[in-house]
Amino acid sequence: MNISDGKRRFPWWHEAVLGVLLIALLITAGIVNPGFLNLRGQLLLSRHLWEFALLALPMTLIILTGGIDLSVGSAMGMCAVAFGMCYSSTGSVALSCLVCLLVGVAGGGVNGWLISRMNVHPLIVTLATYAAFRGLGEGLSQGESYSQFGEDFSEVARGMWGGVPIPAYLFGLLALGCALFLSRTPGGRYVYAIGHNEQAVRFSGVNVGRVKLLLYASSGLMAGLTTIIYVSRFDTAKADAGTGFELDVITAVVVGGTSIYGGRGNIGGTVLGLLLIHETRQFVSRQWQVDELKSIVVGLLLIGSLLLYRGMQVRNRE
Amino acid sequence: MSSLTDIAIRVLRQREVGLLLLIIVVTAIVSTVDPGFLAVGNLKDILVRSAPTAIVACGVMLVVVTGEIDISVGSLMALLAALMGLLISRHEWQLSMWVGIPAVLLCGTLIGLLTGTLVTLGKVPSIIVTLGLLTALRGATTLLMRGENIDGLPEGLQSLAKSGIGGLPLSVWTAMGVLMFTGVIITHTALGRRLFALGSSAYAAKMTGLSETRLKLFAFAYTGFLTALATVVDVPRLPKIESGIGNGFELLVVTCVVVGGVAISGGRGRLVGVMLAVVLLTMVRPVLTFLDVGEAGEKWTKAIQGLFILLAVITDTVVSRRPTGSARGPVPVKPSSHLESEGAPA
Repeated sequence: MNISDGKRRFPWWHEAVLGVLLIALLITAGIVNPGFLNLRGQLLLSRHLWEFALLALPMTLIILTGGIDLSVGSAMGMCAVAFGMCYSSTGSVALSCLVCLLVGVAGGGVNGWLISRMNVHPLIVTLATYAAFRGLGEGLSQGESYSQFGEDFSEVARGMWGGVPIPAYLFGLLALGCALFLSRTPGGRYVYAIGHNEQAVRFSGVNVGRVKLLLYASSGLMAGLTTIIYVSRFDTAKADAGTGFELDVITAVVVGGTSIYGGRGNIGGTVLGLLLIHETRQFVSRQWQVDELKSIVVGLLLIGSLLLYRGMQVRNRE
Repeated sequence: MSSLTDIAIRVLRQREVGLLLLIIVVTAIVSTVDPGFLAVGNLKDILVRSAPTAIVACGVMLVVVTGEIDISVGSLMALLAALMGLLISRHEWQLSMWVGIPAVLLCGTLIGLLTGTLVTLGKVPSIIVTLGLLTALRGATTLLMRGENIDGLPEGLQSLAKSGIGGLPLSVWTAMGVLMFTGVIITHTALGRRLFALGSSAYAAKMTGLSETRLKLFAFAYTGFLTALATVVDVPRLPKIESGIGNGFELLVVTCVVVGGVAISGGRGRLVGVMLAVVLLTMVRPVLTFLDVGEAGEKWTKAIQGLFILLAVITDTVVSRRPTGSARGPVPVKPSSHLESEGAPA
């Protein structure tokens, strides 16, 4: 849909709209509550943002190919249990982290294998693993929670370097990597091309199956990585880790302007989407002190942004 | 190619037969371990548990048949339950049941219509609309209930929902009625044929002059109505209304629809398959209880449900890839999914 008819004037409409919305929100928030714009306070409250943010990176790539991954939150539950069980039997944090990542890759690999080799729709596959991963975690751990992984490990998520939480650096690095991958490598072009016309990409000799397999496996890997941060932040590993994360992550990616049909979107949009949702939540919860309002606002933001994008598209075509 | 595998493949192609065999095998195994599984009380319990899922699955199936999806029914159920509690419980507004219940049904239908409008006229993909509603409606529910549970629904409604008429609760009778009604719509009306036609090829349907907007609006509104109906007949069975009602219900319903053999790309599926899937998936928990695996077993419920979907889709792929000796060739694989085909030739 984005393939222009020769005279596309300005290609950054989505980002511009998101930027304007974000700035408008921040200005309003700043006027209503002057303490809101304090950078230190913002960074302190940003801790749980980084977990969504990390998951949103592979999710952007997957949605760009026209797929979806509903299982990331459940994969986190499974990874957390693997982490906890490994720690309680070996007592080694490093080994537990490794197991956690491996379990994540394995889970993502199962998704990728079913989607690319068995040709099943991603929505169905990840719906199945959404239930299966969480169920595996619950079944294996029997609802038990593991905790007390030591002071040093807590520093992974709680520590600050120069006033900025450590996971933020990780996100910055990975986001840059993903953005460069998408815009500067053949692999990135394949991701967009698969989203536009998978059949054509396959006929031009690209191993579409392998690209998809790698994408879903990397989503699993990211779930493992996120679990490590999550477990470190709460110092607890339980099967309910990451419950409902998939919805927030998908919301951020879609609000960020990535088309759910694939082929259009970028990492910059996703970063803006993440910030917009995060700031909206912060503002709503500070202003009205009602937690439930947050989910209403985020749900409406999701539907509203898509309506807006649709409206813009129609106008562009005219 | 032996004739035995040939027959096996042909049998498995009929999703209903496979599901029925699975139900029979599981029942046989469990009842040898504990004959109490076949007691009338337990069978009735399975029926009662499956009733709300069956009712809503009838609607969601039609939505999926048109090539869309609805994952908001769980939150919608919670919102409607809260609304029903506020309207007719004796601690709140104390409206008459005969005003309150039609209001709940109307509200469900209107929210279904709203979803449909956003999908058809707003042109927002249904997965996104219902994902947004899943979050928003859940938030609205907790807001509406102000963190408190609601009890004190009218006695009459409670006893109808619990013991019911002729030994079966109201929800089971309603489920039977809805099943028959939906069955008639699908097999005996033009509306049913049109829904399937739209799902198998939106482009061809449009060229024949069918209104995509109206058909999809119907499917979503019907789902909203049925969700309200399921709420009205099933929720009074519970001792009190909590904001957590219907958590995960949307996924259970979609699972039933998919395991029941409805193609997610639209246009294909049978009601019988969906109902067998509802029974099979509802059986998981009672079966685990009867196998006496205790608390440990119940924790595996979700894993087993996930496994069922995986099994269903894998059989689908394996079976459709291997041609039988008959003239019936392999089922052609659609090149594009329903999500992509949305942007069809304009």
